[in-house]
Amino acid sequence: MRRIGRIAAGQLRLFVRSRLALVALLLLAMLSAIAALTGAAQAERMAAERAQAQAAANTSFANQPDRHPHRMVHYGTYALRPLGGLAAFDPGVDAFAGSLLYLEGHRQNATTLGTARESSGLIRFGQLTPAFVLRVLVPLLLVFAGFAMIVGERQGGLITLHLGHGVRPHEYLAGKALALGAVAGVAALPALAALGWAAAHTPADAGVAGVMALAVLLWLLLWVLGVTLASARAATAQSALLGLVLVWALLVVLVPRAAAGVAAIAHPLPTKAETDLIIHAELRALGDSHNPDDPHFAAFKAGLLRRYQVNRVEDLPFNYRGALSAEGERLTSQLFARHAAEAAARQRAQHRLLALAGLVSPAIGFAQASMAGAGTDLASHLAFLDAAEAHRYRLVQSLNGLHTFQVRAADDATRSRDPIAERQSRISAHFWADQQPFHFAGPAPAARIAGMLPGLGVMLAWALVLGWLLARIARRGLP
Amino acid sequence: MIAALAREWRHLAAPARIGLVVLALLAGVAVALGLADVAATRADIARVVQLEQRETAAITGFAKGDPGELGYYRNHPAWRAPGDLAFLAPGRGDAVPAVLRLRILALEGQINDNEAANPELLLAGRFDFAFVTLYLAPLLLIALLHDLWSSEREAGRLAALASLPGAARRLWAPRALLRTGGVALALLVPLLIGGALAGTAPLRLAVAAGLVLASLAFWALVTLLVARQEAQSATQATILAGLWFAITLVVPAAAHLAINAAVPLPDAAAITRENREEVHAGWDRPKPKTMARFVALYPEYRAAAQVTRIFDWKWYFAFQHLGDMAVAADSQAREAGIARREALAQGLGWLLPPIKAAQAMQHLAGSDVAADLAFRARLRAHHRALREYHYPFLFAGRPMTAADIAAAPAFAATAQKSIVR
Repeated sequence: MRRIGRIAAGQLRLFVRSRLALVALLLLAMLSAIAALTGAAQAERMAAERAQAQAAANTSFANQPDRHPHRMVHYGTYALRPLGGLAAFDPGVDAFAGSLLYLEGHRQNATTLGTARESSGLIRFGQLTPAFVLRVLVPLLLVFAGFAMIVGERQGGLITLHLGHGVRPHEYLAGKALALGAVAGVAALPALAALGWAAAHTPADAGVAGVMALAVLLWLLLWVLGVTLASARAATAQSALLGLVLVWALLVVLVPRAAAGVAAIAHPLPTKAETDLIIHAELRALGDSHNPDDPHFAAFKAGLLRRYQVNRVEDLPFNYRGALSAEGERLTSQLFARHAAEAAARQRAQHRLLALAGLVSPAIGFAQASMAGAGTDLASHLAFLDAAEAHRYRLVQSLNGLHTFQVRAADDATRSRDPIAERQSRISAHFWADQQPFHFAGPAPAARIAGMLPGLGVMLAWALVLGWLLARIARRGLP
Repeated sequence: MIAALAREWRHLAAPARIGLVVLALLAGVAVALGLADVAATRADIARVVQLEQRETAAITGFAKGDPGELGYYRNHPAWRAPGDLAFLAPGRGDAVPAVLRLRILALEGQINDNEAANPELLLAGRFDFAFVTLYLAPLLLIALLHDLWSSEREAGRLAALASLPGAARRLWAPRALLRTGGVALALLVPLLIGGALAGTAPLRLAVAAGLVLASLAFWALVTLLVARQEAQSATQATILAGLWFAITLVVPAAAHLAINAAVPLPDAAAITRENREEVHAGWDRPKPKTMARFVALYPEYRAAAQVTRIFDWKWYFAFQHLGDMAVAADSQAREAGIARREALAQGLGWLLPPIKAAQAMQHLAGSDVAADLAFRARLRAHHRALREYHYPFLFAGRPMTAADIAAAPAFAATAQKSIVR
């Protein structure tokens, strides 16, 4: 143990003495600090803006004057995807997923907004967030810092000297890995501090943040082990460096993009425009509300007349137009739900394909785990879309209920001709204030931790393999 | 010279040759994926246009010539037809839709719609030709050139080689040229094949090839400058990989942060909300006032602007448009802000040539921010043409015949005007 410490301390002295490594580490720590600070400021601002926009939407809905309820169906409301506290650490898909959804009757709107659509093209080069720093930049720093630490000493004949002094190979390797691990720790410190700070802000997320910190340490451990392994096995320092940079480019830069490209082709998503058109066509086949002789709506009407034992809709104990609207909404929403579920299933299939590619490139596993923990992954976006659609349906049907039971059928029938009927068809404003506002808390901490497990599993498997390879080298003696 | 190049090829180590082949393969795959993406986008657009015709026929059936019903229910498709270089950096699956449907209702509630894309794939970034050129090719170039001199020095041959007469011309120049040329060919051959398959205009293809060469020339120059220094090959590799890392990853990401912080945008959610408030307030405002505001914009309808019924389509569409007018200034300021952010990013490109090459490639592909903004401008113009086509029918109370419905302005697919667009 003491010998491991001595080797590590020696290597750390070398790191400090190597001007290049020290400058790189300082630069990285600075970048990391910038990412952490701006990330926190930005996430806080965006979360506040969205909460404020949500409150404004709720207030303006609640404050509408006396109106015909169908006007409120078209007035609609907004759902904003909230941003959790840990999004400061990893904003994940947030920039690319619209954050605002307009909820109204008869239509399932597309999301709007999103940082990606309001930024310069530079956003395609990546966003400087603590998670990006840890996933992309820190590993390369570890490569630069550690590629020569063993092979360089072998080329200089120093290893034989160490081993001659009674240091055993596994102690030597462990000492080197420990020193590189210390560099990794220093480099990760600002990002981890950001995580801790975010967790302190939202104490309910502290447990998730702890698991995320674990994911970070596991991810960096992979690189510490990998760099140590490469440096122990390479013939020359130069080949260790080129090999490691190549592996880094493959795992961190190339494979995630290529996997995304493959996923897009393997499970193609239809455009929103096409889905809308297909829904319209299906709706006509199901029941065409514009066709007075439509069999579905004729049967609907006949069923109501039979149930209430009357001959004309005017004799029903409620407003038939409202009931008709509710039936129409039920039909359209069924189709919305089916197509949304199909689109979500395809996106989940794409996500699983990426996760599978994570076996080759643990960078994907780390990214997916960190996004899942931060509540900024695909799953939480899809959950938001589901919650918003459920809210839309509930709200519209509640308004259709008011239309059915609070608006007199006679007024409703003549309101576009008769100003008095028009006035009487407006119902009290308090009904709007009584509606439940939209609320979406995002996936619960337990669900988020569960979402992290596949990524953590992949990284753990990699760590075991790398650890085993290192142990084998230690057993066989250093080359 | 040919003989010297052939000799250098024979001397090229096996890993270097494999590297060149792999780069060519990756570029080829990127081009193939790009071509497939473009074909899929064209098919998406064609399907939507065709389905929309069916939809319009159905609406025509129940609207019975009522211009109000037609205006309310009918959608008009608009699209971004991928150009002949779109395969370099295709935009399929972007948040910006390639095809969308417009109604003559308030535009502000339609123009910001996102495509139903998987954001996780967008986050990962694209594997396209622009990516291979910007990220992967320079890494290989650095690997091939960084130890041009230091490897010979470390092998103890440098002094002997340098003492040969005309060593620069006979040895180093062919060696550097072969390696740079190899990387260039690995990119250019797939590019040219892709261009031939896509039927790219020769001049535009030449511009794209020029961008590839310019980007490689920059990296070759930087690499040779570092390689010329007397240092260990590992140190040179570290410096160059660090430079690559800074230019392609760190600086753009940091600049993105700085630019977005420096150029704030008007609150989009507030603009959307205000637009809705304006439109819906139209229902409750006195009709003569609404119509007076409308005819101030469209004086030709002054004589027909009186509304006597409780509901009249011309009044409905009038307040839809007034809703757009109410936020026009904010909306414009927002687009101007986005354009400003992009202009700053382009400015950064002039400082870092590889970034500029990537930006120019996206521009050629028509998937950059400028293309998005230009598309928005065309959507606005098209929406206006559609509205103004409907107004005479709405204000004269004249029914639309089948011929009138068919004669509604069609969206004009982009014309390739200049070399760059």
